Amino acid sequence: MVVFQLAADPVLGILYAGRTMQLLTMIIFSAFVYVMIRRARAGLPVPAIRKIPGLEAVDEAIGRATEMGRPVHFAPGIGGITNADTFAAWAFLGHIAKLCARYDTRLINTNRDYLVHTINEELIRQSYLEAGRPDSYNPDDVRYLTGSQFGYAAGVLGMMQRERPAANILIGYFFAESMLFAEGGANIGAIQIAGTTNTVQLPFFLAACDYTLLGEEIYAGGAYLSKEPNLIGTVVGQDWGRILTFVVMVIGCALANLAAAQGTAFKNYLLTK
Amino acid sequence: MRKQLPLLLTGTAALWVVLCQYIHQFNALKMMGTTDQWQQIIVATMTLVGAVNLTRIHGTNIQRRRSGYYNSIALLVALWAYIAMGIYLTNKHVTYRWVYDATCVPWEATMFSMIAFFIASAAVRTFRIRTAEAAVMGLVAAFVMLGNVPLGPVISDKIPQLKDWLMNIPNGAGFRAIRIGIYIGTFAAAMRIALGLERAHLGSGAQ
Repeated sequence: MVVFQLAADPVLGILYAGRTMQLLTMIIFSAFVYVMIRRARAGLPVPAIRKIPGLEAVDEAIGRATEMGRPVHFAPGIGGITNADTFAAWAFLGHIAKLCARYDTRLINTNRDYLVHTINEELIRQSYLEAGRPDSYNPDDVRYLTGSQFGYAAGVLGMMQRERPAANILIGYFFAESMLFAEGGANIGAIQIAGTTNTVQLPFFLAACDYTLLGEEIYAGGAYLSKEPNLIGTVVGQDWGRILTFVVMVIGCALANLAAAQGTAFKNYLLTK
Repeated sequence: MRKQLPLLLTGTAALWVVLCQYIHQFNALKMMGTTDQWQQIIVATMTLVGAVNLTRIHGTNIQRRRSGYYNSIALLVALWAYIAMGIYLTNKHVTYRWVYDATCVPWEATMFSMIAFFIASAAVRTFRIRTAEAAVMGLVAAFVMLGNVPLGPVISDKIPQLKDWLMNIPNGAGFRAIRIGIYIGTFAAAMRIALGLERAHLGSGAQ
């Protein structure tokens, strides 16, 4: 028998009290994204998204590796399959694998998570197949190193020294190993593109990499690289959400300052209204 | 069907989580907690799939005598011996824990310690003053470093205060701005995945 007790009175008899603002925000943001997807599907013009140097540099990095006859290394970080950054990494990996297959450039993918490794294997194999070069796909280059964080870091550093990739692409969720990877890549002279939403690790990437994707820029990668209008529409919707957030923040700061200046009477007035 | 079924499952799961979060009756029944348990069960099952997949890959290496196949032998022996040990002795047993504590812990600590040297070499490269922005960053970094070491307060009492202000106000504001962007970006990415617009994880051709 399920025994439960209703916490607080629901809003409108159905919504969980205390989360209505969250829900409202979600509906507004969803509406922005939906409008943009509809426009893209109807063939209407969708506003262009700003140029992101780190994303523009992906093709350049692979081209450089091709010219030098050296491999490209891609690491999806240490996030598992439930991490949003890993999903962002897959969008990059599909594009990178296709380009590597087209240029017949070796792609080395190192993994820490065995489930991510399994998906990467399939993704890279499929990309080579689509590029018409299934014979160039080498399963030995999609590697599961170890589940241990620093064991993985040691494995990647060893690979960098032995196989000297010309491009080092680090997209995903990284922790303390970020510095080891980025500095290891800088030491072998690889062109480096990195991105993560872990803000603690971002300064390390900024210090040691040629291009760094800041926070949510990695989520735009799939849309940006594929040039798919539906996906670009979602990024534009996301930008509208950001503008709205900024406006709300400015109004909120102004009101908070006014409340501080006017004392509690104004604060109470705002809260009651 | 190979693509449609995962997309349908993804969309249904996303809708289910939204209902659990925002609908009062679902919340009262603690459906989110139940959903989390489902996820744990699926991940635990996938762990076994991962172990089997690893055995398949390294089994092939050994079978075909690929270069470094002996490493594959070591990996498979360690993997299955440790699993067997855990099942036989349970994960609370002192020997089982010792194997991990006496090998993995010192190895990891060694690698972690190396970060200090890597940070030093990256800092030398980063703090080369070539532009006005780099000069500002170098100056700020100097104050923050001085504020964190005993020498800072000896030079001036103001240095630790300046360090705190730099870290809490300009630095804090920048990080918060990035974090807000990440939350909005995560939401848009979740929508793309839930609606089946972004399908890279189903194989490149699904994009």
